[in-house]
Amino acid sequence: MSATTSIEQTERERAAFAAVELARHPARPRALQVISRAFTDFTEQRGDRLFGDDRAVVGGPAKLDGTWVMVIGQEKGVDAMSRALHNFGMPHPEGYRKQQRLMRSAEKFGLPVICLIDTPAAHPGVGAEERGQAWAIAESLTVTLQLRVPVISAVLSEGGSGGALALGLGDRVLAWENAVYTVAPPETCAAILYRDAGQRARAALAMKPGVDTAHALGMVDELVAEPYPGAHAHPDIAIAALAGALVRNLDELARIDINTLLAERMERYRRAGG
Amino acid sequence: MITRPGSLPHPGPRLQRTTSADTVACPGCGRRYVGDRYERGLRVCASCGLHARVPAALRAEQIADRGTLDVVPMALPDRDPLQFDDGVPYPQRVAEARAGTGSDEVFTVARAAVGDVATVLACMDFGFMGGSLGSAAGEAFAQACELAVAERRALIAVCTSGGARMQEGIASLAQMARCSAGTVQVAAASLPYITVLADPCFGGVTASFATQGDVIIAEPGARIGFAGGRVIEQATHDRLPDGFQTAEFLLAHGMVDMVVDRRALRSVLVRLLSAYGSATR
Repeated sequence: MSATTSIEQTERERAAFAAVELARHPARPRALQVISRAFTDFTEQRGDRLFGDDRAVVGGPAKLDGTWVMVIGQEKGVDAMSRALHNFGMPHPEGYRKQQRLMRSAEKFGLPVICLIDTPAAHPGVGAEERGQAWAIAESLTVTLQLRVPVISAVLSEGGSGGALALGLGDRVLAWENAVYTVAPPETCAAILYRDAGQRARAALAMKPGVDTAHALGMVDELVAEPYPGAHAHPDIAIAALAGALVRNLDELARIDINTLLAERMERYRRAGG
Repeated sequence: MITRPGSLPHPGPRLQRTTSADTVACPGCGRRYVGDRYERGLRVCASCGLHARVPAALRAEQIADRGTLDVVPMALPDRDPLQFDDGVPYPQRVAEARAGTGSDEVFTVARAAVGDVATVLACMDFGFMGGSLGSAAGEAFAQACELAVAERRALIAVCTSGGARMQEGIASLAQMARCSAGTVQVAAASLPYITVLADPCFGGVTASFATQGDVIIAEPGARIGFAGGRVIEQATHDRLPDGFQTAEFLLAHGMVDMVVDRRALRSVLVRLLSAYGSATR
């Protein structure tokens, strides 16, 4: 860092990174908690039918407010063991291929899709690359863009990189207000921009990771309020607020003709990001 | 279309001849080439086979039938959604890249005939901020897709990029969606979309339009992937296998259709367009 860095600058960087840390708070509700408390009759389907089962992505049919939907979520885990099991919410290609398979089932049976996003990034690893991580994400994007049922995406806590966007092309995109949604985790951003992952706070300040930025740029439609001081302190209230927003948006989307909805989805993402 | 005998029936590119006695060295083995010999060899070393980087405009020239290249001028937005400043303000970095490369942005988009088939060429320039995908690049690619659909042309994208443009943050991530919306339209029109992956090709470019082609061609030795090798080593402490993320490695893993020497690329494109180009005008 340059010698001219002022204390004020350091304070601002610290505040920016504190927002990232809040979004990563281990007690924030995870996808499976949201599914178990806001949905009923969740029937998990596993595997991509190609290579394996990626536990970083969970999904299957469930009822939301009495209506069957397909819910697909990125699960980070809640303790040391489940975090390892779910690979900290970092999907392999199998996770995205499971997502595509479930989306196609949803389309076939006319179920709206709800995607719950919570990942720092797609898994960076040898196996993931060998099996086409980039290919899998690219396919998730084209599958979602053409899916003939309504899609709602919700950023729960952390939406990082193409690994999050793969579940993010909803007709409506919601986010809990303390979530972050970024092109890459601040550590990766710092490694690219400053060639030093340690400067993550500096990168966090520069990249404006809060979902309010994504909201201002039209990538997120609706910020869902969290009880003070955040969803980690009162998960049930936060989940109830999210469920309410999901139900309301689902009702609105159900009234739109599917061809109109698809045309609007294409138009929206054709203009995405200005 | 008219078929003519011979393996390369259409007049290929005629690159600018120079009489200069200056020499160019292959960045791989150091072999020196006099005058324009290196350019005429498409920047492929005759000794070691290294495929050196090619700027976008030159790449379009290498692919197009002689005399058919028509670069499409584009009005692209200059955006700085984050007012990004990492010591140098982002608009200044863009201005420097423009001065350094002589191009407006990452993409050069052109109409061209390739083997008499009408195409749109969308070529990326790694020299322009590492070929990074910002909103101007995303808009250029989306317009290239729309041009292909409107004029019923095949789309050929030459992809080389480090990935997202970090300076545009989340707006850069959105470009993956924008470019995908473009390729979906091309596919819906039954127009062929061929991607050529050149060294290096990573991140959000590989994870969107670069791998959405009907045919994916990789150049020999090109490094292609989602996360870079250094990031993977740091994150997982895995030892990277030999040849990891090279074109040949991906061919062996079933991720690309073929690895094609640049000197044969045009003839392969001509054949593919002949096979798949029936919906072009």
